[in-house]
Amino acid sequence: MQSLDVISINIWQIVVSLINLVLLFLIVKRFLYKPVKKMLENRQNEVEKRYSDAEKANNEALENKKNYEEKLSAASVEADGIIQSAVDTAKAREKEIVSDAKLKAEGIILKAENDAKLAMLKAEDSIKQEIIDVSTVLAEKMLKREISEQDHKDLIDSFIDNIGDGDE
Amino acid sequence: MKSLKFKIIDIIYIVMMILPIAFAIVLQVLTKPVSEGISISGARIFFTIPMPIQDFIVSESQVNSALVIVSILFLCLYLTHGLKERIELKRQHFAELIVEKADGLVKDNMGEYFKGYSPFIIAIMALSAFSSLLSLFGLFAPTSDINIVGGWAILVFFLITYYKLKCGPLYYLKGFTEPVALLAPINFISEFATPVSMAFRHYGNVLSGSVISVLLGTALGGLSSMVLKWLPGFLADIPLFQIGIPAVLSIYFDVFSGLLQAFIFAMLTMMYVSGGFPIDEYNRRRLKKAQKALNNK
Repeated sequence: MQSLDVISINIWQIVVSLINLVLLFLIVKRFLYKPVKKMLENRQNEVEKRYSDAEKANNEALENKKNYEEKLSAASVEADGIIQSAVDTAKAREKEIVSDAKLKAEGIILKAENDAKLAMLKAEDSIKQEIIDVSTVLAEKMLKREISEQDHKDLIDSFIDNIGDGDE
Repeated sequence: MKSLKFKIIDIIYIVMMILPIAFAIVLQVLTKPVSEGISISGARIFFTIPMPIQDFIVSESQVNSALVIVSILFLCLYLTHGLKERIELKRQHFAELIVEKADGLVKDNMGEYFKGYSPFIIAIMALSAFSSLLSLFGLFAPTSDINIVGGWAILVFFLITYYKLKCGPLYYLKGFTEPVALLAPINFISEFATPVSMAFRHYGNVLSGSVISVLLGTALGGLSSMVLKWLPGFLADIPLFQIGIPAVLSIYFDVFSGLLQAFIFAMLTMMYVSGGFPIDEYNRRRLKKAQKALNNK
Protein backbone atom coordinates (compact mmCIF):
# COMPACT_ATOMS: atom_id res chain seq x y z
CA MET A 1 0.00 0.00 0.00
CA GLN A 2 1.17 3.44 -0.91
CA SER A 3 1.90 6.07 1.66
CA LEU A 4 1.84 9.83 1.45
CA ASP A 5 5.00 11.77 2.03
CA VAL A 6 5.46 13.27 5.46
CA ILE A 7 4.71 16.67 4.03
CA SER A 8 2.28 16.50 1.14
CA ILE A 9 -0.34 19.09 0.51
CA ASN A 10 -3.62 18.09 -1.02
CA ILE A 11 -6.23 20.78 -1.47
CA TRP A 12 -9.19 18.46 -1.29
CA GLN A 13 -7.98 16.94 1.94
CA ILE A 14 -7.64 20.42 3.37
CA VAL A 15 -11.17 21.32 2.26
CA VAL A 16 -12.61 18.13 3.69
CA SER A 17 -10.82 18.67 6.98
CA LEU A 18 -12.14 22.24 7.13
CA ILE A 19 -15.66 20.95 6.50
CA ASN A 20 -15.12 18.28 9.13
CA LEU A 21 -14.28 20.90 11.73
CA VAL A 22 -17.37 22.93 10.83
CA LEU A 23 -19.41 19.74 11.05
CA LEU A 24 -18.01 18.92 14.45
CA PHE A 25 -18.72 22.48 15.56
CA LEU A 26 -22.36 22.01 14.55
CA ILE A 27 -22.49 18.62 16.28
CA VAL A 28 -21.05 20.00 19.51
CA LYS A 29 -23.36 22.98 19.40
CA ARG A 30 -26.47 20.91 18.72
CA PHE A 31 -25.79 17.86 20.89
CA LEU A 32 -23.70 19.13 23.78
CA TYR A 33 -23.75 22.89 24.15
CA LYS A 34 -27.40 23.70 23.57
CA PRO A 35 -28.91 20.96 25.76
CA VAL A 36 -26.58 21.78 28.63
CA LYS A 37 -27.18 25.52 28.27
CA LYS A 38 -30.92 24.97 28.15
CA MET A 39 -30.77 22.79 31.21
CA LEU A 40 -28.64 25.36 33.05
CA GLU A 41 -31.11 28.06 32.12
CA ASN A 42 -34.00 25.95 33.34
CA ARG A 43 -32.16 25.30 36.55
CA GLN A 44 -31.46 29.00 36.97
CA ASN A 45 -35.13 29.76 36.42
CA GLU A 46 -36.14 27.09 38.88
CA VAL A 47 -33.73 28.38 41.49
CA GLU A 48 -34.98 31.91 41.00
CA LYS A 49 -38.55 30.69 41.27
CA ARG A 50 -37.71 28.87 44.47
CA TYR A 51 -36.09 31.96 45.87
CA SER A 52 -39.00 34.20 44.98
CA ASP A 53 -41.42 31.63 46.39
CA ALA A 54 -39.46 31.47 49.60
CA GLU A 55 -39.36 35.25 49.80
CA LYS A 56 -43.09 35.43 49.19
CA ALA A 57 -43.80 32.87 51.88
CA ASN A 58 -41.51 34.70 54.26
CA ASN A 59 -43.24 38.00 53.57
CA GLU A 60 -46.61 36.37 54.07
CA ALA A 61 -45.52 34.88 57.35
CA LEU A 62 -44.17 38.23 58.52
CA GLU A 63 -47.42 39.92 57.55
CA ASN A 64 -49.41 37.28 59.37
CA LYS A 65 -47.23 37.69 62.40
CA LYS A 66 -47.74 41.42 62.30
CA ASN A 67 -51.49 40.96 61.97
CA TYR A 68 -51.61 38.57 64.87
CA GLU A 69 -49.52 40.86 66.98
CA GLU A 70 -51.83 43.73 66.17
CA LYS A 71 -54.83 41.61 66.95
CA LEU A 72 -53.25 40.46 70.15
CA SER A 73 -52.50 43.95 71.32
CA ALA A 74 -56.03 45.06 70.33
CA ALA A 75 -57.44 42.16 72.28
CA SER A 76 -55.47 43.06 75.37
CA VAL A 77 -56.67 46.64 75.08
CA GLU A 78 -60.20 45.37 74.72
CA ALA A 79 -59.80 43.10 77.71
CA ASP A 80 -58.48 46.03 79.71
CA GLY A 81 -61.51 48.03 78.63
CA ILE A 82 -63.87 45.23 79.62
CA ILE A 83 -62.25 44.87 82.99
CA GLN A 84 -62.30 48.62 83.49
CA SER A 85 -65.95 48.87 82.58
CA ALA A 86 -66.73 45.91 84.81
CA VAL A 87 -64.90 47.58 87.64
CA ASP A 88 -66.73 50.83 86.94
CA THR A 89 -70.11 49.09 86.92
CA ALA A 90 -69.24 47.25 90.05
CA LYS A 91 -68.21 50.48 91.74
CA ALA A 92 -71.38 52.20 90.61
CA ARG A 93 -73.42 49.28 91.82
CA GLU A 94 -71.57 49.32 95.10
CA LYS A 95 -72.29 52.95 95.54
CA GLU A 96 -75.92 52.39 94.70
CA ILE A 97 -76.21 49.55 97.11
CA VAL A 98 -74.48 51.46 99.84
CA SER A 99 -76.64 54.47 99.32
CA ASP A 100 -79.73 52.31 99.17
CA ALA A 101 -78.70 50.67 102.36
CA LYS A 102 -78.06 54.04 103.92
CA LEU A 103 -81.45 55.25 102.84
CA LYS A 104 -83.08 52.15 104.13
CA ALA A 105 -81.22 52.40 107.36
CA GLU A 106 -82.18 56.00 107.76
CA GLY A 107 -85.79 55.03 107.05
CA ILE A 108 -85.58 52.30 109.63
CA ILE A 109 -84.05 54.65 112.14
CA LEU A 110 -86.69 57.27 111.42
CA LYS A 111 -89.42 54.73 111.71
CA ALA A 112 -87.95 53.44 114.88
CA GLU A 113 -87.75 56.92 116.24
CA ASN A 114 -91.34 57.57 115.26
CA ASP A 115 -92.37 54.30 116.75
CA ALA A 116 -90.56 55.17 119.90
CA LYS A 117 -92.17 58.57 119.96
CA LEU A 118 -95.55 57.03 119.34
CA ALA A 119 -94.94 54.48 122.04
CA MET A 120 -93.90 57.25 124.35
CA LEU A 121 -97.02 59.20 123.53
CA LYS A 122 -99.08 56.13 124.04
CA ALA A 123 -97.37 55.44 127.28
CA GLU A 124 -97.89 59.06 128.31
CA ASP A 125 -101.52 58.71 127.43
CA SER A 126 -101.96 55.51 129.31
CA ILE A 127 -100.06 56.89 132.29
CA LYS A 128 -102.24 59.96 132.16
CA GLN A 129 -105.31 57.78 132.03
CA GLU A 130 -104.13 55.74 134.90
CA ILE A 131 -103.17 58.75 136.91
CA ILE A 132 -106.56 60.17 136.15
CA ASP A 133 -108.23 56.98 137.13
CA VAL A 134 -106.18 56.63 140.25
CA SER A 135 -106.55 60.23 141.23
CA THR A 136 -110.26 60.09 140.57
CA VAL A 137 -110.59 57.09 142.81
CA LEU A 138 -108.34 58.72 145.37
CA ALA A 139 -110.22 61.96 145.23
CA GLU A 140 -113.59 60.25 145.50
CA LYS A 141 -112.37 58.36 148.48
CA MET A 142 -110.52 61.17 150.20
CA LEU A 143 -112.81 64.04 149.58
CA LYS A 144 -115.95 62.08 149.46
CA ARG A 145 -117.37 64.83 147.59
CA GLU A 146 -119.75 64.63 144.76
CA ILE A 147 -118.10 65.82 141.78
CA SER A 148 -119.19 65.19 138.39
CA GLU A 149 -116.76 62.87 136.83
CA GLN A 150 -116.42 65.08 133.83
CA ASP A 151 -115.46 68.15 135.72
CA HIS A 152 -112.89 66.23 137.63
CA LYS A 153 -111.37 64.77 134.61
CA ASP A 154 -110.95 68.14 133.03
CA LEU A 155 -109.34 69.46 136.13
CA ILE A 156 -106.83 66.67 136.32
CA ASP A 157 -106.16 66.90 132.62
CA SER A 158 -105.23 70.52 132.79
CA PHE A 159 -103.10 69.81 135.79
CA ILE A 160 -101.18 67.03 134.15
CA ASP A 161 -100.85 68.95 130.99
CA ASN A 162 -99.18 71.64 132.93
CA ILE A 163 -96.87 69.14 134.54
CA GLY A 164 -96.06 67.63 131.12
CA ASP A 165 -95.35 71.03 129.70
CA GLY A 166 -93.05 71.80 132.51
CA ASP A 167 -91.23 68.53 131.89
CA GLU A 168 -90.78 68.94 128.30
CA MET B 1 -34.16 4.42 38.96
CA LYS B 2 -33.12 4.18 35.37
CA SER B 3 -35.51 2.41 33.05
CA LEU B 4 -34.53 -0.41 30.75
CA LYS B 5 -34.95 1.79 27.70
CA PHE B 6 -32.62 4.38 29.17
CA LYS B 7 -29.99 1.74 29.87
CA ILE B 8 -30.26 0.29 26.37
CA ILE B 9 -29.79 3.72 24.80
CA ASP B 10 -26.82 4.30 27.08
CA ILE B 11 -25.24 1.06 25.99
CA ILE B 12 -25.84 1.91 22.32
CA TYR B 13 -24.12 5.27 22.79
CA ILE B 14 -21.14 3.72 24.53
CA VAL B 15 -20.82 1.03 21.88
CA MET B 16 -21.05 3.62 19.12
CA MET B 17 -18.34 5.61 20.90
CA ILE B 18 -15.97 2.66 20.93
CA LEU B 19 -16.93 1.16 17.59
CA PRO B 20 -15.20 3.77 15.35
CA ILE B 21 -11.94 3.32 17.22
CA ALA B 22 -12.26 -0.46 16.99
CA PHE B 23 -13.02 -0.12 13.33
CA ALA B 24 -9.91 1.99 12.82
CA ILE B 25 -7.79 -0.58 14.65
CA VAL B 26 -9.22 -3.44 12.57
CA LEU B 27 -8.64 -1.45 9.40
CA GLN B 28 -5.06 -0.83 10.42
CA VAL B 29 -4.44 -4.48 11.24
CA LEU B 30 -5.94 -5.58 7.95
CA THR B 31 -4.20 -3.11 5.67
CA LYS B 32 -0.88 -2.22 7.28
CA PRO B 33 2.03 -4.13 5.84
CA VAL B 34 4.51 -5.54 8.31
CA SER B 35 7.34 -3.08 8.28
CA GLU B 36 10.92 -3.88 8.97
CA GLY B 37 13.14 -1.33 10.63
CA ILE B 38 12.42 2.34 10.85
CA SER B 39 9.95 3.76 8.40
CA ILE B 40 8.69 7.26 8.82
CA SER B 41 6.06 8.14 6.32
CA GLY B 42 2.78 9.99 6.08
CA ALA B 43 -0.72 8.56 6.07
CA ARG B 44 -1.39 5.49 4.01
CA ILE B 45 -3.58 6.01 0.96
CA PHE B 46 -6.72 3.88 0.77
CA PHE B 47 -7.90 5.09 -2.60
CA THR B 48 -7.97 8.23 -4.69
CA ILE B 49 -10.91 9.96 -6.27
CA PRO B 50 -10.18 11.92 -9.43
CA MET B 51 -11.05 15.57 -8.97
CA PRO B 52 -10.16 18.81 -10.75
CA ILE B 53 -6.89 20.50 -9.81
CA GLN B 54 -5.71 17.57 -7.70
CA ASP B 55 -6.94 14.09 -7.03
CA PHE B 56 -8.77 13.71 -3.72
CA ILE B 57 -6.84 11.21 -1.66
CA VAL B 58 -8.76 9.25 0.91
CA SER B 59 -5.98 8.56 3.33
CA GLU B 60 -5.72 7.09 6.79
CA SER B 61 -5.87 10.54 8.33
CA GLN B 62 -9.15 11.36 6.56
CA VAL B 63 -10.75 8.11 7.66
CA ASN B 64 -9.44 8.42 11.21
CA SER B 65 -10.62 11.98 11.63
CA ALA B 66 -14.08 11.05 10.34
CA LEU B 67 -14.16 8.19 12.83
CA VAL B 68 -13.10 10.54 15.61
CA ILE B 69 -15.98 12.85 14.69
CA VAL B 70 -18.45 9.96 14.88
CA SER B 71 -17.00 8.98 18.22
CA ILE B 72 -17.28 12.52 19.57
CA LEU B 73 -20.86 12.75 18.31
CA PHE B 74 -21.84 9.75 20.39
CA LEU B 75 -19.79 11.00 23.33
CA CYS B 76 -21.83 14.22 23.22
CA LEU B 77 -25.05 12.23 23.00
CA TYR B 78 -23.95 10.06 25.90
CA LEU B 79 -22.99 13.02 28.08
CA THR B 80 -26.25 14.86 27.50
CA HIS B 81 -28.40 11.76 27.82
CA GLY B 82 -30.63 12.15 30.85
CA LEU B 83 -29.88 15.79 31.62
CA LYS B 84 -31.95 16.97 34.56
CA GLU B 85 -32.23 20.20 36.47
CA ARG B 86 -31.49 18.12 39.53
CA ILE B 87 -28.42 16.08 38.77
CA GLU B 88 -29.08 12.36 38.76
CA LEU B 89 -26.15 11.05 36.74
CA LYS B 90 -22.47 11.60 37.27
CA ARG B 91 -21.84 12.30 33.60
CA GLN B 92 -23.94 15.43 33.87
CA HIS B 93 -21.29 17.00 36.11
CA PHE B 94 -18.80 16.38 33.36
CA ALA B 95 -21.03 17.85 30.65
CA GLU B 96 -21.68 20.95 32.75
CA LEU B 97 -17.99 21.24 33.56
CA ILE B 98 -17.07 21.21 29.86
CA VAL B 99 -19.65 23.81 28.93
CA GLU B 100 -18.95 26.11 31.85
CA LYS B 101 -15.17 25.90 31.48
CA ALA B 102 -15.44 26.62 27.75
CA ASP B 103 -17.74 29.55 28.45
CA GLY B 104 -15.34 30.91 31.04
CA LEU B 105 -12.33 30.46 28.77
CA VAL B 106 -14.02 32.16 25.84
CA LYS B 107 -15.29 34.99 28.00
CA ASP B 108 -11.85 35.56 29.54
CA ASN B 109 -9.91 35.42 26.28
CA MET B 110 -12.32 36.78 23.70
CA GLY B 111 -14.74 39.03 25.55
CA GLU B 112 -18.49 39.26 25.70
CA TYR B 113 -18.95 39.81 21.94
CA PHE B 114 -17.63 36.37 21.04
CA LYS B 115 -19.55 34.36 23.59
CA GLY B 116 -21.10 32.24 20.83
CA TYR B 117 -17.65 30.78 20.20
CA SER B 118 -17.72 28.30 23.09
CA PRO B 119 -19.00 25.37 21.00
CA PHE B 120 -16.42 26.09 18.35
CA ILE B 121 -13.64 26.08 20.91
CA ILE B 122 -14.98 22.85 22.41
CA ALA B 123 -15.06 21.36 18.91
CA ILE B 124 -11.48 22.40 18.10
CA MET B 125 -10.15 21.13 21.41
CA ALA B 126 -12.06 17.85 21.23
CA LEU B 127 -11.14 17.13 17.62
CA SER B 128 -7.49 18.00 18.11
CA ALA B 129 -7.11 16.19 21.42
CA PHE B 130 -8.92 13.02 20.38
CA SER B 131 -7.13 12.94 17.04
CA SER B 132 -3.76 13.17 18.77
CA LEU B 133 -4.78 10.58 21.35
CA LEU B 134 -5.51 8.07 18.58
CA SER B 135 -1.77 7.40 18.56
CA LEU B 136 -2.25 5.75 21.96
CA PHE B 137 -3.99 2.91 20.13
CA GLY B 138 -1.15 2.69 17.66
CA LEU B 139 -3.26 4.40 15.03
CA PHE B 140 -2.19 7.13 12.73
CA ALA B 141 -2.97 10.43 14.41
CA PRO B 142 -4.79 12.70 11.93
CA THR B 143 -3.13 15.70 13.56
CA SER B 144 0.22 14.53 12.28
CA ASP B 145 -1.04 15.15 8.76
CA ILE B 146 -0.49 18.72 7.58
CA ASN B 147 -3.65 18.66 5.46
CA ILE B 148 -5.94 18.06 8.44
CA VAL B 149 -4.43 20.73 10.67
CA GLY B 150 -4.04 23.01 7.70
CA GLY B 151 -7.78 22.85 7.07
CA TRP B 152 -8.47 23.95 10.63
CA ALA B 153 -5.90 26.74 10.41
CA ILE B 154 -7.43 27.98 7.17
CA LEU B 155 -10.86 28.02 8.79
CA VAL B 156 -9.39 30.08 11.62
CA PHE B 157 -7.80 32.37 9.04
CA PHE B 158 -11.20 32.88 7.39
CA LEU B 159 -12.68 33.77 10.76
CA ILE B 160 -9.88 36.22 11.52
CA THR B 161 -10.30 37.91 8.14
CA TYR B 162 -14.09 37.97 8.51
CA TYR B 163 -13.85 39.86 11.78
CA LYS B 164 -11.15 42.16 10.42
CA LEU B 165 -13.44 43.01 7.50
CA LYS B 166 -16.32 43.87 9.81
CA CYS B 167 -15.34 47.53 9.71
CA GLY B 168 -15.23 47.62 5.94
CA PRO B 169 -12.49 46.67 3.42
CA LEU B 170 -10.89 50.14 3.55
CA TYR B 171 -10.31 49.92 7.27
CA TYR B 172 -8.93 46.41 6.73
CA LEU B 173 -6.47 47.60 4.11
CA LYS B 174 -5.49 50.55 6.25
CA GLY B 175 -4.56 48.10 8.97
CA PHE B 176 -1.65 46.88 6.82
CA THR B 177 0.01 50.29 6.88
CA GLU B 178 0.26 50.33 10.66
CA PRO B 179 2.44 51.58 12.22
CA VAL B 180 4.17 52.89 9.04
CA ALA B 181 3.29 52.36 5.39
CA LEU B 182 6.75 50.97 4.73
CA LEU B 183 5.94 47.85 6.69
CA ALA B 184 2.94 46.95 4.52
CA PRO B 185 4.62 43.97 2.75
CA ILE B 186 5.76 42.52 6.06
CA ASN B 187 2.31 42.95 7.52
CA PHE B 188 0.89 41.25 4.48
CA ILE B 189 3.23 38.29 4.93
CA SER B 190 2.50 38.06 8.63
CA GLU B 191 -1.19 37.94 7.81
CA PHE B 192 -0.66 34.72 5.89
CA ALA B 193 1.96 33.46 8.28
CA THR B 194 -0.66 33.12 11.00
CA PRO B 195 -2.49 30.05 9.63
CA VAL B 196 0.74 28.55 8.35
CA SER B 197 2.42 28.85 11.70
CA MET B 198 -0.61 27.49 13.50
CA ALA B 199 -0.84 24.49 11.21
CA PHE B 200 2.85 23.72 11.27
CA ARG B 201 3.14 24.13 15.03
CA HIS B 202 0.41 21.61 15.71
CA TYR B 203 1.34 19.17 12.98
CA GLY B 204 5.06 19.39 13.71
CA ASN B 205 4.65 18.74 17.41
CA VAL B 206 2.46 15.69 16.99
CA LEU B 207 4.50 14.27 14.11
CA SER B 208 7.78 14.85 15.91
CA GLY B 209 6.34 13.08 18.95
CA SER B 210 5.49 10.00 16.91
CA VAL B 211 8.83 10.11 15.08
CA ILE B 212 10.74 10.30 18.35
CA SER B 213 8.61 7.46 19.71
CA VAL B 214 9.52 5.28 16.75
CA LEU B 215 13.20 6.21 16.98
CA LEU B 216 13.35 5.60 20.72
CA GLY B 217 11.51 2.31 20.39
CA THR B 218 13.98 1.09 17.79
CA ALA B 219 16.92 2.38 19.75
CA LEU B 220 15.75 0.63 22.92
CA GLY B 221 15.32 -2.60 20.97
CA GLY B 222 18.86 -2.29 19.65
CA LEU B 223 20.15 -1.53 23.12
CA SER B 224 18.50 -4.58 24.68
CA SER B 225 19.79 -6.90 21.94
CA MET B 226 23.24 -5.39 22.42
CA VAL B 227 23.17 -5.98 26.16
CA LEU B 228 21.65 -9.45 26.00
CA LYS B 229 23.37 -10.84 22.89
CA TRP B 230 25.78 -13.02 24.89
CA LEU B 231 22.85 -15.04 26.34
CA PRO B 232 22.06 -18.36 24.67
CA GLY B 233 19.02 -19.11 22.52
CA PHE B 234 15.84 -17.11 22.67
CA LEU B 235 16.95 -15.23 25.75
CA ALA B 236 19.01 -12.99 23.52
CA ASP B 237 15.87 -11.90 21.69
CA ILE B 238 14.11 -10.56 24.82
CA PRO B 239 13.45 -6.87 24.16
CA LEU B 240 14.32 -5.94 27.74
CA PHE B 241 14.34 -2.17 27.38
CA GLN B 242 11.24 -2.12 25.21
CA ILE B 243 9.17 -3.25 28.20
CA GLY B 244 7.60 -0.32 29.97
CA ILE B 245 9.94 2.45 28.89
CA PRO B 246 8.12 3.32 25.61
CA ALA B 247 4.86 3.54 27.59
CA VAL B 248 6.35 6.15 29.92
CA LEU B 249 7.68 8.10 26.97
CA SER B 250 4.32 7.84 25.28
CA ILE B 251 2.72 9.63 28.23
CA TYR B 252 4.72 12.68 27.24
CA PHE B 253 4.81 12.37 23.46
CA ASP B 254 1.26 11.17 22.89
CA VAL B 255 -0.88 12.29 25.82
CA PHE B 256 0.75 15.41 27.18
CA SER B 257 1.97 16.80 23.90
CA GLY B 258 -1.32 16.05 22.15
CA LEU B 259 -3.45 17.69 24.83
CA LEU B 260 -1.07 20.65 25.08
CA GLN B 261 -1.17 21.23 21.34
CA ALA B 262 -4.97 21.02 21.36
CA PHE B 263 -5.06 23.64 24.11
CA ILE B 264 -2.51 25.84 22.34
CA PHE B 265 -4.39 25.63 19.05
CA ALA B 266 -7.64 26.60 20.76
CA MET B 267 -5.98 29.43 22.67
CA LEU B 268 -4.35 30.80 19.53
CA THR B 269 -7.67 30.62 17.72
CA MET B 270 -9.30 32.66 20.45
CA MET B 271 -6.43 35.16 20.57
CA TYR B 272 -6.23 35.69 16.83
CA VAL B 273 -9.97 35.88 16.20
CA SER B 274 -10.68 38.29 19.04
CA GLY B 275 -7.41 40.19 18.52
CA GLY B 276 -8.13 40.77 14.83
CA PHE B 277 -11.50 42.28 15.53
CA PRO B 278 -11.24 46.07 16.07
CA ILE B 279 -14.05 46.16 18.61
CA ASP B 280 -13.63 49.84 19.55
CA GLU B 281 -13.81 50.95 15.93
CA TYR B 282 -16.72 48.61 15.31
CA ASN B 283 -18.67 50.00 18.28
CA ARG B 284 -17.87 53.55 17.22
CA ARG B 285 -19.18 52.94 13.72
CA ARG B 286 -22.29 51.23 14.94
CA LEU B 287 -23.00 54.10 17.29
CA LYS B 288 -22.54 56.56 14.44
CA LYS B 289 -24.86 54.57 12.22
CA ALA B 290 -27.50 54.43 14.93
CA GLN B 291 -27.24 58.18 15.44
CA LYS B 292 -27.59 58.76 11.71
CA ALA B 293 -30.65 56.57 11.56
CA LEU B 294 -32.08 58.48 14.50
CA ASN B 295 -31.41 61.81 12.78
CA ASN B 296 -33.04 60.68 9.53
CA LYS B 297 -36.17 59.83 11.41
